[in-house]
Amino acid sequence: MVEIALILLTPILGGLVYGVERILRARMQNRIGPPLLQPFYDMYKLLDKQAILVNSYHIVFALLHMITLWITVALLIVGFHLLYVIFIHLIATIFLVLAGYSVRSVYSHIGSNRELMAMVAYEPILIFIAVGFYLVYGTFDTAVIFNSELMLDKMILLFMAFLIIIPIKLKKSPFDATEAHQEIVGGVELEYGGVFFEILYMAKWIEYIFIFTIVFLFCADSFILGMVLSVVIFFVLNLIDNATARIKIADLLKIVLGFGIILSIINLIGIVYV
Amino acid sequence: MFKKLFNFKAYRKKSPWILHYNAGSCNGCDIEILACLSPKYDLERFGVLNTGNPKQSDVFLVTGPVTFRSRERLVELYNQIPEPKVVVAVGSCTCTGGVFRGMYNVEDGIDRYIPVDVYVPGCAASPELIIDGVVKGLEVLETKTKQIEVPFKLSTSPEQKDGIVDRTNMSKRIGDD
Repeated sequence: MVEIALILLTPILGGLVYGVERILRARMQNRIGPPLLQPFYDMYKLLDKQAILVNSYHIVFALLHMITLWITVALLIVGFHLLYVIFIHLIATIFLVLAGYSVRSVYSHIGSNRELMAMVAYEPILIFIAVGFYLVYGTFDTAVIFNSELMLDKMILLFMAFLIIIPIKLKKSPFDATEAHQEIVGGVELEYGGVFFEILYMAKWIEYIFIFTIVFLFCADSFILGMVLSVVIFFVLNLIDNATARIKIADLLKIVLGFGIILSIINLIGIVYV
Repeated sequence: MFKKLFNFKAYRKKSPWILHYNAGSCNGCDIEILACLSPKYDLERFGVLNTGNPKQSDVFLVTGPVTFRSRERLVELYNQIPEPKVVVAVGSCTCTGGVFRGMYNVEDGIDRYIPVDVYVPGCAASPELIIDGVVKGLEVLETKTKQIEVPFKLSTSPEQKDGIVDRTNMSKRIGDD
């Protein structure tokens, strides 16, 4: 029952997380910041704007992106094969890339290219994480993992590799070259106007929930540790976002692939042989 | 309660996203606009975001006395903002041409090209005045409808076919007329 409520309320929960984040970021810069419900005010305003569409595929791909992401979170919470969850999440990102290529804007194409490059960087690490879960818990089923005993100490390096890819998924500095506001004007989301931008805006909220559900998955049955880790990660993520500049997409690839893959492979070898 | 929840118009002024365009300004007013977003004045507490993308903006902040080179871009950007939208002219140059009035290479103020809702005078306009101007603009935004607004020059009315409005060829280039 709790799970179904959680799945239905995913966008609302994500919106609240985003609202808290905007306040937190403003407080870190010595500002007051917008009200907590600001993302929902934005939503209402966008619903009231005139709809401008470039072509119909563009909108369909955005809708597919949001719905697939929502399904990914739902499957993760209900209990499903972890590898499949990661591949469905990959499909959601592919829809976004296709949406970027379906219009003629050059900025949109650059955004899609960078999205693909970022995918090359973080996708292997997500798969290594799934393999790590299998080696530690003996199963890919997320429902079983959620009810197992806490074994974070055995996969601490995989967890660190996961921490590296969080800023890419949530579009935070220093790894926000895929979105790059002001530089390529948002990349893929450039051509969305009015009510259609709301779809992508909501997908961004759902992405937050996806990332923090995986943090909870690392903590297995220990809900309190998951809560504490999520809050700490949330705080540090915004601190780093405020304190660092954007790096080039090629450097992103080198850093994430270099550190992430080495950390995860050491962890996997450790699980098997030690 | 439901009436309040679905009264979309009330939420317009709670989340105005700004598009800032420099139509040949000396950068004095641009610096003041950025100062509005900085910790001292903090426009974001009203939900204001500096988007830089016309398709997602509500408030069009223009600085500078429209130089000949910037005319096409001004009209193009204006046409790309979805309705309802508000134009705020920031600075003396933008309102009337200021010290550049009558010169051969500027048009005297943006209201020769696009309809302006709020004029903010000053050289440079102070951040307090700009915030006042934006807040005044939000009052105008609440009364606006979704009817398409057409610039006075360099633009034609959008083509309508089967109830679908096509804006593709709305903006004209300078040699076109």
